[in-house]
Amino acid sequence: MPFREINSKMVEATILPGQRLFSQRGAMLAYKGDVTFTPNIQGGQGGLASMIGRRVANEATPLMTVEVPQGLDDQGGTPTGTVLFGHGGHHIQVITLSGDTLYVEADRLLAFDGTLQQGTMFMGSQGGVMGMVRGQVTGQGLFTTTLKGQGSVAVMAHGGVIEVPITPQRPVHVDPQAYVAHHGDVRNKLSTALGWRDMVGRGSGEAFQLELSGSGAVYVQASEEKL
Amino acid sequence: MNPAGNPSMPAGAPAPLDPMSLPSDDSVNAYTFCVELRGSQWFLQKGKMIAYYGSIEFNGIGHGRLDRLVRTSFHSPLHASDWVVAEGQGKMLLADRAFDVNSYDLEDGNLTIRSGNLLAFQPTLALKQSIVPGFLTLIGTGKFVAASNGPVVFMEPPIRVDPQALVGWADCPSPCHHYDHGYLTGVIGGVRALTGIGGTSGEEHQFEFVGAGTVLLQSSEALMAEQATGALPQQAGVPGGQGAPGQHGQRGQQPGQPRLPGQLGDLQRRFGL
Repeated sequence: MPFREINSKMVEATILPGQRLFSQRGAMLAYKGDVTFTPNIQGGQGGLASMIGRRVANEATPLMTVEVPQGLDDQGGTPTGTVLFGHGGHHIQVITLSGDTLYVEADRLLAFDGTLQQGTMFMGSQGGVMGMVRGQVTGQGLFTTTLKGQGSVAVMAHGGVIEVPITPQRPVHVDPQAYVAHHGDVRNKLSTALGWRDMVGRGSGEAFQLELSGSGAVYVQASEEKL
Repeated sequence: MNPAGNPSMPAGAPAPLDPMSLPSDDSVNAYTFCVELRGSQWFLQKGKMIAYYGSIEFNGIGHGRLDRLVRTSFHSPLHASDWVVAEGQGKMLLADRAFDVNSYDLEDGNLTIRSGNLLAFQPTLALKQSIVPGFLTLIGTGKFVAASNGPVVFMEPPIRVDPQALVGWADCPSPCHHYDHGYLTGVIGGVRALTGIGGTSGEEHQFEFVGAGTVLLQSSEALMAEQATGALPQQAGVPGGQGAPGQHGQRGQQPGQPRLPGQLGDLQRRFGL
């Protein structure tokens, strides 16, 4: 797959002619070869409707299309582009998807394969009002971005990232602020442990937890700081 | 492992470093570098020394005794106020805002580096201002220490680099600007350029390197916010650190303030009132 982790804060993408990928604007660090960077008005894939949807959902991160033109290069070989991505000194996690769906905030997306299907999901569709409350607590807002298909995604996080597998027998509890992304067939709900101590300001500071159950994986950052 | 025969040390804990076990002119870990001085001198940027053993004197550039040294190996009046010379006997630790720190050896070579990334260098190297603004060139033989956001990645030209990600380059004779705004041509591009619809990709301008040499890259030049050292965290429950001022202004006791009559003093704080 196109992304190769060079170190914890940099990934390298190899692009063949005709292939393309989307990346956050300004996230290119260096490149070799004949690569073009075009700002993407629509903020990703799909037509005008998808663009308006993303704008309304506030999931429209400025993206650019990175591609290598088709044809032969000067030496008569196929031109290949190599691009290094990184942004703001954030740690980067490459997630490879094989047909399942990744749920991630749009501003955490550093770069992703052009073959992945991009969509927007309403948090309320998973658990109604409680889903909306969950979105507020995790900082996701009312909407989140989904990526589906075969390909890989480079996701940014503050601090290192740990992948925690979720199996049907073992649900995982995650601090909403440390939550980065999840994929697979996962139900999530917000579990609260509010008590009178929290009301008087003597709580443990861990009153809200995100409980993820099903089968898949959740990515957690080693920091409670947002991007 | 029970280091240095200290019975109170738990097994497996890293050995505490002392003047003997600190490395000489080598990295202690990814974030700290140790310089050994034996009557020798090192140039270092102000504020990058975090600790030292022994007797080391720090003098700013311009100190009378250093005139000869400055004449031979410091040719950057623009940065003179940012640099000091360390001199004496002992070991000195260097670090910079939790950035990755690495040392590099130059052998009769040249290397150009972003001025903010250079921490220290041996006086056997000569520091000069690069033609490219904001960069410094080191020429000669010796060791220098540089910081970077994330580990440094070495790349071979030909390559185009985002100006923010560039740490420096060695032996490349031709750094130049490269402008790429191909998407602003044609009818749609013209509309785009006129109206600003669609914005810019932010990658129109790069530094281009060709020829033989090495280019040094980092993840980003975005700096971490500097935090005042010694400040107490502003959290409830931390003695001395009151919550946000104004919010908790009425509660608790300001440390420097005289206590008002009728207050319960420390007993009050114990109950969190």
